[in-house]
Amino acid sequence: MPHQPQTGQTAMSVRWMMIPAVILTLAMVVFPLGYAVYLGFGGGSPATGFGVANFQRLAADPSFWSALRITFGLFLSALVLQLVLGTALALLLNRYDVVRGLVRTAILSPFMLPPVVVGMIAIVVLDPGLGAANWIVQSLGFAPLLWLASPNWSLLVIALIDTWQWTPFVALIVLGGLQSLPARVYEAAEIDGAVGFRRFWHITLPLLGPTLLTAAVLRSVDLLRFFDIIYITTQGGPGNSTTTLNIYAYKLGFDFMDVGYAAAVMIVLALLVLGSVLFFAGLRKRVSW
Amino acid sequence: MRFFAMSAVLALAMVPAHAQDGFDWRKHDGETVNLMLNNLAWTQQMRDRLDEFTTKTGIKLRVETYSEEQYRARLTTLLQGGSSDLDVFMTLPSREAPLFQANGWYADLTSLLKGDATDPAFEYEDFSQALRDSGVVGETVTSLPINVEGPLFYWRKDVFEKCGLEKPANLEELSATAAKLKECDSAITPWAARGLRGTVGYPLGGFVYNSGGDFKDADGKATLCLPGTIKGIDLYGSLLREYGPPGATNHTFTQVIDLLAQGRVAMSNESSNEFSTLMRYPGRSEDIAVGVLPPGADGTSKPIVINWSLAISGKSQKQEAAWYFLQWATGKEVQNTLAQNGIAPSRVSVFNGDDFKAWASESRPRGEWLEALLEISQTGTSLYQTPTLTRTPEAREILSSVVQQVILGQNDAEAAACAVTEQVQALQD
Repeated sequence: MPHQPQTGQTAMSVRWMMIPAVILTLAMVVFPLGYAVYLGFGGGSPATGFGVANFQRLAADPSFWSALRITFGLFLSALVLQLVLGTALALLLNRYDVVRGLVRTAILSPFMLPPVVVGMIAIVVLDPGLGAANWIVQSLGFAPLLWLASPNWSLLVIALIDTWQWTPFVALIVLGGLQSLPARVYEAAEIDGAVGFRRFWHITLPLLGPTLLTAAVLRSVDLLRFFDIIYITTQGGPGNSTTTLNIYAYKLGFDFMDVGYAAAVMIVLALLVLGSVLFFAGLRKRVSW
Repeated sequence: MRFFAMSAVLALAMVPAHAQDGFDWRKHDGETVNLMLNNLAWTQQMRDRLDEFTTKTGIKLRVETYSEEQYRARLTTLLQGGSSDLDVFMTLPSREAPLFQANGWYADLTSLLKGDATDPAFEYEDFSQALRDSGVVGETVTSLPINVEGPLFYWRKDVFEKCGLEKPANLEELSATAAKLKECDSAITPWAARGLRGTVGYPLGGFVYNSGGDFKDADGKATLCLPGTIKGIDLYGSLLREYGPPGATNHTFTQVIDLLAQGRVAMSNESSNEFSTLMRYPGRSEDIAVGVLPPGADGTSKPIVINWSLAISGKSQKQEAAWYFLQWATGKEVQNTLAQNGIAPSRVSVFNGDDFKAWASESRPRGEWLEALLEISQTGTSLYQTPTLTRTPEAREILSSVVQQVILGQNDAEAAACAVTEQVQALQD
């Protein structure tokens, strides 16, 4: 349907109607973001003055670099686990029609739980003294584990908790992708003798590319700014083993009351999130079909 | 002229007695004061009594209560943002008084104390000297103490008796006692204490001081690299590693008190504030004993003692009405009532009063608790991290990380404590 030219009056009334949305966006997005940038550049701080002092401090701060490494470690491990397991779960759900209704809802339900609940469940289940996890481990004849209290394992355990919660979400997206794949490609593949893993590797996976990248974008945003479950379970410890950029910025801002420096850390984190979205969005353009 | 003189006399006679001395509890009738409180035992006891304040003054109260972490986050946000919505808040002077004062977050109570907005019966000098001093920054009174508290040594009397043990005579005997407990009763964890980041300093302080340590050297320079300090850190960390519950590095007072209250732990060094919580659990009032942390081998005993306080926001538009609340909440009458519910009073007259003593004499643990509090009030210190005027939370964080390394067996106490010397000195103002 061709566009109808807007009369001057219509265009004007459209602009008027946009005003509430513009005001809301300014108040809820632009102002807080702008204020964080202002604080990050030392705005309102007589100690640093306006400038890049906070960012220079970042460059020389070993805690910042450690938090950055941990953020990336968590991001990569959880993202890979969730994409692999989410795809596997989606294939399973797609293949077996019997997994329907309540069963499907039950499998997919963890991502509907509030993070506080997930964190509390993790604390109870993974308690080294009383938790069910160690009861199972010991029943199998192994030594009990420290789980979240171990500086060597706590980050992986957090990644696994997040994976438990968010794999179903990835599976749901992939399931949607699987069900929209063109049947004729599979028919042709069957005629050519491509079955089983070969069919998955050479046909399903490439066709799922855009869907997987969409899931990756959504999960990467969440994983980079992951905070709640870490804060509930370990508060960044033991030591600094689970102190991500978000946890570090929280400590700086609310415990040490170093708000300007915390804002600088958050600006770096926001840039990382933006970078990851652009990266996956760019990749998605390349693999579209 | 005579008529005017008579009228003046008559007018004076008609003024209510409470207004004659310049103070009237109903002066701010109809105003609303916003309170933000940390959910401590004091807060829980006060919540049911706030209506009494409104009845007495006509001032309405709008109260927000949060658990400690959320409380700090919200408080910092409001103060940092210069919000005038906040009138009264709870503050921990040993942690934050110099910083809050430097930022202008406290209202100056000095002038309010001297002015006619203060009830003549209030008696500021009735607060113990040390607690009063905790709220004074420079020459300015910034807050009023609401309680007195410190870590106390709790132990299971029945388990000790069963195993033929006495309360350790000194800190050196703690490990041996824990070992014997482990051998005698494998169902009970011999020791529990805080291991979570940022929370360790409070129960650790007594270990450091009693072992002859300090948080600064003879020249006043911040350091943990001192023989006594290393000894105290080693003792604290080793006890948790060898005899503590698994996962202690994620434990703060809530987990420690839960373990103690459920009868799963034989000894601990935890806050006196938690005494009333502990006594609510079945059986604990019979089997728990409480006292001051055992001294060092040479008899040194320097426990930690602190207080929570009430302050008025520097940005509050209702400072005088808020001051009325402070006077009421820290007044003798309220403190006396709270004292009989296990809140250790900051007023000397209440602490030494007959009511509090009568309440304490009703049971053995109460009496022990009162005696221990009296001792720590007289001999304690509120400094339990490397000294800094404004960066106390960071100093406590560094201290916690050192202790965690010892608990986890990642490093020995000396190496861990001496490695942070530059870091802690950089915090000194």
